[in-house]
Amino acid sequence: MPDGRPTLSSGLSYRDPRAAIAWLEKAFGFETTMLVEAPDGSVAHSELRLGDGVIMVGSEWSEDNKSPASVGGKNTQTIHLQIESDVDVHCARARAAGAAVFAEPETQFYGDRTYRCKDPEGHIWTVGQTVDVVSNEAMEAATGLKITTNG
Amino acid sequence: MSSRIVVALRVAATADRAFSAFTADIGVWWRPSPLFRFTPREPGVLSFEPGPEGRLIETRAGGKVFEIGRITVWEPPLRLVFGWRQAAFGPGQATEVEVRFDDLGAETRVTVEHRGWDTVPAAHVARHGFPDLMFLRRLGDYWLVLLSAVNAFMGRTSPETPEP
Repeated sequence: MPDGRPTLSSGLSYRDPRAAIAWLEKAFGFETTMLVEAPDGSVAHSELRLGDGVIMVGSEWSEDNKSPASVGGKNTQTIHLQIESDVDVHCARARAAGAAVFAEPETQFYGDRTYRCKDPEGHIWTVGQTVDVVSNEAMEAATGLKITTNG
Repeated sequence: MSSRIVVALRVAATADRAFSAFTADIGVWWRPSPLFRFTPREPGVLSFEPGPEGRLIETRAGGKVFEIGRITVWEPPLRLVFGWRQAAFGPGQATEVEVRFDDLGAETRVTVEHRGWDTVPAAHVARHGFPDLMFLRRLGDYWLVLLSAVNAFMGRTSPETPEP
């Protein structure tokens, strides 16, 4: 997917998109693949990639596009990063960069080891790594949930 | 200079190979764009006259040469800076392209920064009536296409990949 874009990508609003881009590179390992700057030096558009995923980091560009920092810390969506290895190391790196880790890495009933954190403007991120393959039957037995999967 | 775009692409090649392909083989991988043409004529073939005193030129089918820009930084295999002027640019209107090659081991991250578009007014013919930010975004998309073309060129011509 070198010059294409995935079907689904997410746009995030920040009060300070330039600081956010630098932070996301340092904390999570994103790479900035496109940056468009206006004549006043502000960030007009950006695309950051991690694996085969893309996010767009921008400003609070309308009355309805706000950073959590501007709306009392509320989030209406969260972004999940599924990584292949070393989720504990990933968490330590994010924490060292200033992430507020509010759920430490823990192995979940579905076989992923995950942690959750907030970035400096309050966006919630979840990060997971599959450490064990668990059958639906085993998950149902462990939790009492009814699990249906297709495909 | 502000009003700039930055794009980056990881390529499966060493910095040496990427720098060489970018400069020596630009006539092969470059794809002309109607939106970012250098002259109003049919597009020609691009080539670098390499070295710190060199330049980037476009040679049309009849042999006429248009100078796109002078090379101002020639630091193989890490960095290259050259001017980018289109024939329609007036005095004082000039943009600049910086290409960096970051060695990441098996891969190289090629980063293109195209700056100086604030010298070209919004109403200029080279902007095709696009609002500034939309124009810059189109330019960024174009550079990603070009970087993908360099990458594809290197894949086609890799000495380690025998022809099928």
